[in-house]
Amino acid sequence: MSSILARGAIRDAMVDCLGRHDGRKAVVGAESLAYGELAGRVDNAADWLCAVLPGDEAGRRSRKHLGFCLGNRVEYVILYFAALYAGDLPLLLDANFNTGEIEAIRSDCGLDALLIEPSKAAKIEVPGKGDPIPFADEVVLLPLSQVAPPRFEPRVSTEVCRFTSGTTGRPKCLEFSGHAVVSAAKNWILGTGMRGEDRTLCLAALSNGLAFNTSLLSSFLAGGELHFLKGAPLTRPVARRIEELGITRLVAFPTLYRNFVAPGGPDRAAMASLEHAISAGAPLWPDVREEFRVRYGLDISDYYGIAETGPCTFERDARHHSGLGVPLPGAEIRIAPGPGDPGTGEILVRTASMASGYLNHPGLFEGRLDADGFYHSGDRGRLVDGRLHLVGRTEDHINVAGRKIDPTEVVAVVSALPGVADAVAFPDEDLNREVLVHLAVVAGSADLTRAAVAEACRSRLAPYKVPGRISFVPEIPRTGIGKPRIAVLREQLKASRKESPS
Amino acid sequence: MSEDDLSAMKKRVARLVYIAAGGKIDEKDLERPDTDLREIGLDSLGYLNLLEGLERTFGVSIDLDQEEDHSFLHTIDNIVCYVTAHRGAPA
Repeated sequence: MSSILARGAIRDAMVDCLGRHDGRKAVVGAESLAYGELAGRVDNAADWLCAVLPGDEAGRRSRKHLGFCLGNRVEYVILYFAALYAGDLPLLLDANFNTGEIEAIRSDCGLDALLIEPSKAAKIEVPGKGDPIPFADEVVLLPLSQVAPPRFEPRVSTEVCRFTSGTTGRPKCLEFSGHAVVSAAKNWILGTGMRGEDRTLCLAALSNGLAFNTSLLSSFLAGGELHFLKGAPLTRPVARRIEELGITRLVAFPTLYRNFVAPGGPDRAAMASLEHAISAGAPLWPDVREEFRVRYGLDISDYYGIAETGPCTFERDARHHSGLGVPLPGAEIRIAPGPGDPGTGEILVRTASMASGYLNHPGLFEGRLDADGFYHSGDRGRLVDGRLHLVGRTEDHINVAGRKIDPTEVVAVVSALPGVADAVAFPDEDLNREVLVHLAVVAGSADLTRAAVAEACRSRLAPYKVPGRISFVPEIPRTGIGKPRIAVLREQLKASRKESPS
Repeated sequence: MSEDDLSAMKKRVARLVYIAAGGKIDEKDLERPDTDLREIGLDSLGYLNLLEGLERTFGVSIDLDQEEDHSFLHTIDNIVCYVTAHRGAPA
């Protein structure tokens, strides 16, 4: 047992379940660990963290801020719980965050070290970067000496931080109490009927709310098995894994399900053990859901969760093939009256798994709560017989594969380029119906080229924020108060494409 | 493989890349076989679609964990070389 055992709701829940399920298989990736083995590895890793990030000479060790910048793997699970056992604060970063975003997080929230792949550690160029300390073959701890005190201090109750996209390259840091994280896991188990016999194959990144809430803690609390896939999430390896290991729950994203139902997709027999197919991150196409049901005899549960509130709904009734299901235990949903169809309006959510706030944007989260503590989601929807149906969004964010992008950040980058007279970014779709950022630019100079705009975006924005389509337009239609009229612009672009089909 | 077969193969791979990218990249850029696909906008989702497409079209299953060097996926020419060397029966 680790000599350091910090108190905390997540740690307490984990200690309890590791003891209760001893002997059963817990986590399977490049290696397979039973609950008892996982407990031992977590203890050892907690001791290791305390040794490589020690306290002062008097033995006082402050809470270290550990940035998890890793893809899914067994070591992620070990180190996540080890950090909590050691009394440290895990900050679950998107593994694709660039150096600028990591630096912004360090400046805002403080980062004492990154847990990262060695090849990525070598590419990160930030002041105060130490020598990587190996933890496993493909994981190192990269110490970061704090060059200045962080701008914000987390709440004492915060046990985990996760991130949503922010403006100007500063991801917004969500603080979660241990109680909120444990509540999310317990309510997911209760609401979805998760059992100890369940084997969950999690393909969504553990830093993402979908995976974090449906897999990371809930699988262990239920006494189930959590599986990771090494390599790219292609349909054949996924199907092979499902068939070989008797996977009962698949946690994935719409693109994978679309690839499953494309011609040449895996056979029904390979998927026989699957009881729940869960999709999130972006809206699932209704025809893909229907085709999946026809081909595999299983309805995809289109999970609805919000980064700030945790899981909201789930559909357990196989007779319902549309909508997002009913509120999970601990989740309440209201529809705020609004313009348009009666009964349709902004979705307001209150859950037992709400975030405490944004660490680096004080007041922003609180400002989105109504008097009853319901969070204004920014999504539009309606409740039909208690089931939530999503209609659209009331806000301007662009959701690219589950990552919300503030279009003003893209516009700010482009507007700084010489020769750009005006610009606007808005959501559009590619030929595969994936959402992309469409950037419309008004050139103030004949020298401005598409290549220059694209290069500016690529060099200054995270890859998922880079516009997938760039159009040059003579002007951007705007309202009297200067707001872009996106619907009019879309029509103009459509008309111009018809005029010049090339 | 004859010159004609090679040319046809390049066109098929270029088409797969275009579809994988959801049409976001300019087909003219794909006519230059040494174009770095990452630089013309083939993102991670596009690569995922491309790997699916290569497997279903040519029966070539690419396990990125088994490949030390992934640079063969950066250009049409190199993808064609890889596919030609590893091609099996369509799945």
